[in-house]
Amino acid sequence: MYGWIWRHLPGNAWVRGVISLVLVLAVVYALFQYVFPWAEPLLPFNDVTVDA
Amino acid sequence: MGLSVRLVVRTLSELCITVGTVIVLFVVHVMFWTGIKADSATAAQVDLLRRAWVDQPLPPATKAPEATGTLTPQPYAAGKGIAVMYIPRLGEDWEWPVLEGTAPATLKKGLGHYASTARLGATGNFAVAGHRRTYGDPFKDFPSLRPGDAVVLTDGATWYTYRIERKPYRTVPTDTGVIDPVPRPLRKNAAGFDGPGRYLTLTTCEPEWGSSHRLIVWAHLDATQPVTQGKPPSLTG
Repeated sequence: MYGWIWRHLPGNAWVRGVISLVLVLAVVYALFQYVFPWAEPLLPFNDVTVDA
Repeated sequence: MGLSVRLVVRTLSELCITVGTVIVLFVVHVMFWTGIKADSATAAQVDLLRRAWVDQPLPPATKAPEATGTLTPQPYAAGKGIAVMYIPRLGEDWEWPVLEGTAPATLKKGLGHYASTARLGATGNFAVAGHRRTYGDPFKDFPSLRPGDAVVLTDGATWYTYRIERKPYRTVPTDTGVIDPVPRPLRKNAAGFDGPGRYLTLTTCEPEWGSSHRLIVWAHLDATQPVTQGKPPSLTG
């Protein structure tokens, strides 16, 4: 999977390294900004109120 | 043949490593990142309240707050700050904004006032929910609360000092009687109130990282003083 991505990135090893880093950072950003805030209420830490 | 088996095994391994990394990142998010976000969100809410209070007319210092009933108070606006809470037992610099409502988005920015319950300082039950863990862990040390501990709130005009009645009461999430105007928990006499009064209820989850139960403490209004007289003794002492 990662090998396939690496082979399909343009440029020499340095350029590919930089692009990979940017891709990793973009994925981590998306996780923290969108995915985790969505997933977190599915866990029980938010249930602090009494309700029927 | 040998090559494709290798490809499948390698792809599976890479997927497992990826999933593992995402889980570790999620734990970092829940344990640390929500706290960092809550720090700035609560500080901003306290700041907003203090700015609003600068422009707010003060009630005459000679009158008790209930005597100023001629000034019809503004209804609380959902998601907006209404007071700042201090509980010295939970730390000298324990300071949290109380916002109107208990929606998940509201509880990320501070403690939440149950919209159906009484106003701060009024007859009835001013009930407040807060996170035990995540989003700044406001009620992490909830079990250490003891009878006589002060819960101090200010709405910019008045300091309200509530006193905790009993050790935290552990109950089930459906025990909604705990936030009644005169608290009526499932276990009779757990609250110990037998008539109307100016009460306060705090609720959070139990166990720390779970949601099977709730922890509750009750308090009654012990003293009020106008902000012009400075901080109440339980904060300065």
